[in-house]
Amino acid sequence: MTRVGIPAGLFYHYYYPLWKTFFVDLGAEVISSSLTNRQTVEKGIAVALDEACFPIKVYFGHIQELNELGPDYLFLPRLVSVEARSYICPKFMGLPDMIKASLPDLPPIIDMVVDMSINSKGLEQEIKRVGNIFTTNEKAISQAFRHGREELCKYRQLMQTGFSSSEAIEIWEGQERLLTTSADLQLGVLGHGYSLYDRCISMNLIGHLREMGCRVKLVETCSQDEIEKAAASLPKRVFWTLGRKNVGAALHMASDDEIDGLVYLACFGCGPDSMIKEFIERRSNGKPFLGITIDEHTGEAGLLTRLEAFCDMLRRRRKIDFESNLPPYGQYACGSENSL
Amino acid sequence: MNVYLGIDIGSVSSNFIMMNNQKEIIKNIYRRTLGNPVKAIQTGFTDLMDGCEEVTVKGVGTTGSGRHLAATLLGADVVKNEITAHAVAAAQFYPEVRTIIEIGGQDSKIIIMRDGIVHDFAMNTVCAAGTGSFLDQQASRLNMAIEDFGGQAVKSRQSVRIAGRCGVFAESDMIHKQQMGFPVEDIMMGLCEALVRNYLNNVAKGKKIEDLVVFQGGVAANEGLRAAFEKVLGQNLHIPPYYNVMGAIGAAILALEKSQGSRQNSRYKGCDYIMDGQFLSSSHECKGCPNLCEVVAIKRDQDILAYWGDRCKKWEGSLSQTEKANLQVV
Repeated sequence: MTRVGIPAGLFYHYYYPLWKTFFVDLGAEVISSSLTNRQTVEKGIAVALDEACFPIKVYFGHIQELNELGPDYLFLPRLVSVEARSYICPKFMGLPDMIKASLPDLPPIIDMVVDMSINSKGLEQEIKRVGNIFTTNEKAISQAFRHGREELCKYRQLMQTGFSSSEAIEIWEGQERLLTTSADLQLGVLGHGYSLYDRCISMNLIGHLREMGCRVKLVETCSQDEIEKAAASLPKRVFWTLGRKNVGAALHMASDDEIDGLVYLACFGCGPDSMIKEFIERRSNGKPFLGITIDEHTGEAGLLTRLEAFCDMLRRRRKIDFESNLPPYGQYACGSENSL
Repeated sequence: MNVYLGIDIGSVSSNFIMMNNQKEIIKNIYRRTLGNPVKAIQTGFTDLMDGCEEVTVKGVGTTGSGRHLAATLLGADVVKNEITAHAVAAAQFYPEVRTIIEIGGQDSKIIIMRDGIVHDFAMNTVCAAGTGSFLDQQASRLNMAIEDFGGQAVKSRQSVRIAGRCGVFAESDMIHKQQMGFPVEDIMMGLCEALVRNYLNNVAKGKKIEDLVVFQGGVAANEGLRAAFEKVLGQNLHIPPYYNVMGAIGAAILALEKSQGSRQNSRYKGCDYIMDGQFLSSSHECKGCPNLCEVVAIKRDQDILAYWGDRCKKWEGSLSQTEKANLQVV
């Protein structure tokens, strides 16, 4: 059976169920690298170019790990745009080339161009071209893609309930996961999914917040309409797909009274993040905001200090707000309707 | 006499304070961690308790980046992050405080206070330019004790402009200015101003610095930096009397507040526990999974007190319940 390797990094977090279903339906076996761990990080940093952001460096590590498993093909999509008039960060456009240049001796690469900035015609042709590697039956190819989209839809529904992508993929593959229900704080946690939902890259930010008694709301828990509506309040349309989703979700959450605060995880050296983080901080209506910037640094202490302090602050603030709303002399001090 | 202890183990200094139940400071100790926090805790604690045989410790609070270590060694009732601890302490001395500037060994913070509680805060992100370690380093490069740095800097009459964006660039800028022949005090004052600009641009980042402004942390000892802040902000800075041990004071206050609300006894392990035991830490790389966590074990003689660093909590989980209680973050 033909074995197709899918690295467990970057847009794996957004599209893995689609990709896997597509290849499996076409009769291939899909193998993926293990979730990011220290070795992935070290291998990636050793070969990746310096200017790339952290998650891209880590992606290089995933490919090296996959390569050791000896797949027949490596699936490295070239993501240019996944929706009209919006783009993915330009580094993704050149990613397959960066990888080919830095890592020799790779198996044949399935380099699929995804560019839907104008229409989806180009994508249809690419699907056909990639499908033809496995079969000449065009009907089977389009059916496999349709099935992939259905699975993607199921996966996204899981994320709507508050699971991060890593958890949602585990559930989609048949494992059981539960969300903690006891929480006294509700936080909006934002950032690029491939950093934020990767437990190693984000130093388990979401997990730590849940342990500290927070319920976590993510970009995916907001509806498309809510996101677009809030994002439209900016003077100029944000043309990065993920950036706009983050701004939209953040501004939507900022106007939601049930959300106590916002946390934004940015990646050091990320161009879009440097803008988006500022946008959110300046336009979030005074909603408490915590910005976290990560890089290759492995010390968790700094992260924990900031998260703890943020939760402390929100709890103490709430306590004061609650007390200042109590009537100073009790309910009947000024007399009620029936007495003086 | 009943007392409460506050311990702040930072990257550069380790601070200890003893406070009575009226929140009055009985004793305070500020010492350098010198890269060995275990030893710093032991010796600092010995100094703290020296001559205080009569006291009963009713509560212990720890803070700083070494707060978990200190909690393990001493047994702590409150383990708090530095931001909350500093805010609590500043509000104790200055109930009206609205802005706290805190510059420590490796981090700098701004804390915005409203009605005595933290309203907003920020810490330096990926860059430690402008913190105590950098000043330390530059002082030693100029062959000068850090204690004399500020005194020299304020003698300057015309400060030199130095790039403060990055510690490395600041250093090469300073060398260049020295080679051009500028007097050393003007360069030092220039450095102080550069650090203030760096702080305002990278940490405070447009947050409103409103009166009353409290400046604390070890770096508040530096007159040069104080003068530079006052010049740039055009506001008076208030330096608390115990500016360099404020974190420890905050931790002690939190321990006091906690003990007043509960009937439980303090988790404090007693003097003998710390002074008689041999504390050792060892580390190994766990080979259980590809994460290769660096697991640290803290031992007292032969007993393992704590494990840290394992993401899966396998090592931490191997400890008994009482040992685990020591690790609890309150």
